[in-house]
Amino acid sequence: MTASKKPGWRIVFAGTGGQGVVTAARILTEFFSARGNQVVSGQLHGMAQRGGSVQASVMIDCGISPVIPNGAADCVVGFEPVETVRALPFMSQSTTVFMNTTPVVPYVLSQQAVRGKGSGQYPSEDSLQQHVLSVTPKLLAFDATELARSAGMVKTLNVVMVGCLFGSGILPATPEEFAETVMKTVPSKLAEANERAFQTGVDFGRKLHKPEESS
Amino acid sequence: MWGQAVSGARGHDVLRDEPGARAAMLGNVAIVRGALEAGVQYFACYPGTPSSEVGDTFAAIAEGCGISFEYSVNEKIALELAFGASLSGARSMCSMKHLGLNYAGDPASTIPYVGVEGGMVIVSAGDPSAITSPNEQDQRHFSNFLFYPIFDPATVPDALAMTRFAFRLSEETRLPVILRPTTRVCHTSSVVELGQLATTKNKIVFNKDPARYTPMPANARRMRKEITQRYQKAAELLASSPFFGTYGSGSRGIVASGVGYAYARQIVEDLGLEDTVSLMQIGAYPIPEPLLGRFLKSVDSVLIVEELTPFVEERVMISAFRLGRNIPITGKHTGHFPMEFEYGPDMVDDAIRSYLDMPARPKIEVSQPALPIRPPVLCPGCPHRSSFYLVRKAFGKKTVYTNDIGCYTLGYGPPLECCDTVLSMGSSISEAAAIAQTTGKRTVAFLGDSTFFHSGLPALANLVVNSADVTVVVLNNHVTAMTGFQPSVAAAADGSDESGLSILRAVKGLGVKNVHEVDPTDEDSTLAVLRAAKKGSGVNVVICSAPCSVYDKRLSGSEKRAPLEVDQEFCNQCSLCVLVLGCPAIEVTDNKYEIVADLCDGCKLCAYVCNQDAIKEGGE
Repeated sequence: MTASKKPGWRIVFAGTGGQGVVTAARILTEFFSARGNQVVSGQLHGMAQRGGSVQASVMIDCGISPVIPNGAADCVVGFEPVETVRALPFMSQSTTVFMNTTPVVPYVLSQQAVRGKGSGQYPSEDSLQQHVLSVTPKLLAFDATELARSAGMVKTLNVVMVGCLFGSGILPATPEEFAETVMKTVPSKLAEANERAFQTGVDFGRKLHKPEESS
Repeated sequence: MWGQAVSGARGHDVLRDEPGARAAMLGNVAIVRGALEAGVQYFACYPGTPSSEVGDTFAAIAEGCGISFEYSVNEKIALELAFGASLSGARSMCSMKHLGLNYAGDPASTIPYVGVEGGMVIVSAGDPSAITSPNEQDQRHFSNFLFYPIFDPATVPDALAMTRFAFRLSEETRLPVILRPTTRVCHTSSVVELGQLATTKNKIVFNKDPARYTPMPANARRMRKEITQRYQKAAELLASSPFFGTYGSGSRGIVASGVGYAYARQIVEDLGLEDTVSLMQIGAYPIPEPLLGRFLKSVDSVLIVEELTPFVEERVMISAFRLGRNIPITGKHTGHFPMEFEYGPDMVDDAIRSYLDMPARPKIEVSQPALPIRPPVLCPGCPHRSSFYLVRKAFGKKTVYTNDIGCYTLGYGPPLECCDTVLSMGSSISEAAAIAQTTGKRTVAFLGDSTFFHSGLPALANLVVNSADVTVVVLNNHVTAMTGFQPSVAAAADGSDESGLSILRAVKGLGVKNVHEVDPTDEDSTLAVLRAAKKGSGVNVVICSAPCSVYDKRLSGSEKRAPLEVDQEFCNQCSLCVLVLGCPAIEVTDNKYEIVADLCDGCKLCAYVCNQDAIKEGGE
C-alpha cells in the first residue's frame, strides 16, 4: 500500500522566505474552500521570513490531519532547486514534481567559501534533478523565475508555479475556473501581470502531458 | 504576487454575518471568530509566535466592532488588563505564546482565587519541538497546578468551537480559562462552519465589593475552598461539551489530545480501523472523570497519543487504578512515543500499528542528500548588522555579549558573534551585570526597543542601583519585527511620532548619566560613542536607533535605495565584507565577489567596511 493511493489531493509547496510560498498555499486553500471542498493547509513560519526554508502544504478532501505523511504528496511544487530536493521525503514514485531551476543561493555558502569550511558550492542543477529522478520519473524542471520575469515581474513566480500546477491537470479544477474566481479578487493594477504569469504557468504545466514540447 | 486585496478577504470572513456558511481560516483567526461569536468586548496581547495572528486579527477589526484592543507592553500587563475588564463585567481575552504565560504567571496564579465576572479567556499558544522558542513547555499543567480549565484543540474548527464554549464555561464557573492551541493548530488553515456572531454584550459595571476582590490571607483561604467547588463544576460542564467524542466501536482503546487526535483520527479512518479501535478525544482539562471511566470500562487496552509530557497518560493511569481496571496502558512510558517534541502522522501511524500488532508500514526509502542549510539571518539593510559590527569593532573579542529575545538574537554565531548567552525577555541586562561582577570581564547587553519596555526597564533600574560595569546597547528599530511588525511603544528617534515613548528620556529618568542615542547607519559617530562607552565605568547606555529596513520599505512605503555594486577592477578578493558582515546580498562564486541587486537594500555598510573602495552605488 502506498500512501498516495488514499483519496484526495496532497500538494507541497517548497521555497524560501519571500518567494510567495505561503501566499500560494493560501490562495489555493481559499479557492477550494469556496468551491465546496474540504481543505486543510499547513505552514511553518516564524523565522522563515529571515531567508529560511519555507514549506506549505495543501490537502484537498483528505481528512483532518494538518501534515502530509512521508511519501504521500501527489505533487511537489518547488520554487527553488535545493528546496525542491529538501521536500524529497514527501515524494514517492507517483509524485509529480515541478522544479524551478533558478537558485536562491544560501548566504552560508559564501561564508563557507571565505572561511574554507564546507563546500561553499551550490549543488549542480543536474545533481539536484538526479535526486528527484531517483524517486520519481515525473519531474518537470524549468526556469520559472525567467518565465515570471518575461511575464512582467519576478515577484509573480508563485503565480507561475500555481499556473503550472493547474495546467498539469493534477487538481480537481480547471485553470479557467481558478483564474475566473481568483483574478476577481486581485487589485486591478496588478491583474494584468498576474493573469499573464498564470497563463504562462498553465501553458508550461500542460507540457507535462506532451513531453515532446518540453525539450 | 497576487496583491493585497486577496488577504483582505480574511478579515472579511472573520466578521461574516452568515451563520452556517463555510470559510477557510487560519487557526489563530478562527480563535478570533470564536471570541466574536461569544461576544468578546475587551482584548489585549503581547505578540509571540505562534500566537501573534490572534492579536493582529483583532488589530484589524476591533475598532469597527466596538472592541477595546491593544498591544500591551508585556504579557503580564495584557493579562491584568483582561482581568480588570472582566471585573467590570466585560467578556475579555488576552493572547500570548507559552512563555508569555510564565511572565504573566504571578497574576495568573491568583485570578482563580478572586474569580472573574465577565468570561475571561487566555490564549497561550504552545510550541512543541520549540520551532520558534527557547523551550517547548507543556502549559496543560496550569490546569491542576493553578485550577484553570484548559482547552486543547486538535483542529481549526475545534479552536473556534472551544473558544466560543470557553467564555460560557468561564462565566458559569467564575474561573479564567486557558485556550492552548499548538503551532499545528495556530498555523493551519482549514474550513470552518461559521456560527452566529454575538448580538448581545455583557453590561459593563464595576460593583464595589472589596472582600470579594481582595485576596488578603483571610479572604484567600475562603476563596481557596471555593476554587475546589468551581473547578469541580468546570469538570461537570465539560462533561456535557462536545470535546470528548468517541470514534469507532472496537475494543482497543486510543485516547488522544491536541493535534495527536487529528493524526490518530486520520490514521484510523485511512486504515479502516473503526471496528477494531475506539478513539476518544481529550479536548479539555480537567478531564471529566465519569467520561474517561466509562471509556476505560468499554475497552480492553489503551494507547495514549499526546505531545509533550505524559499528562493525559498519568490521568488515565489514575482513573484506571480508581476503577480497578487492570488493562494495559501504553504510550510514552512504554516507549511507543517519545517524551519530547511534536508528533507527526508517520510516528503516530507506526505507534498505532505496533499497538495493534499490525504489520509495519511499508517503508518508503527516500534518503535525503546533504543540502546547504538556510539558517535565519538578519535581512540585508538591517540596522542591527551595523550596530553589531560597530560594537564588535569597539569592544573586541574578549568582551562578554549577553543578548535577548528578538531579531537581534541572530547576532549569534559567525560572523557577528554578538551573542554569548540568551535566556528570556529582558534578561540580558541582569545576566551582564552578574557576569561583570563575578568575572570582572567587560560586558555588553543587547536588547531591542520592545523588549526594553517589556521587561528591560526594571532590569535597568536594578542595574543603576547595583552599578555594575555594563554597557547596555538598545537596538531601537521602532517595531516588534520578529513577530510580524507589530507597533512598538518606542518613539521614532527623529521624534516624528510624538505618541511614542522615548527610551532616551526613560534611561535618563532612571539616573543614567552616560547615555547616548546614535544612528548606527552613521558609522563613524556611532563608533566614537561606543569607544567612549568602553572606556567609561559603571552603567553606560547606547541607544542605536534606525528603522527596521523591511518594515520601512514594506509598510511605510519609502522608496527602495539603489543597490550597490562591486567594482571588479578594485576588488582584491580580501573577503573582509563577507568575513565581518554576513550579509545575504553578498555572494561569492569562484572567488568572485558580487552583490545580488534583488536582495541588496542599499544600506552601504559593506561600502563602509571595504578598504579597497571597491563597493559603489550602482551606475556610478
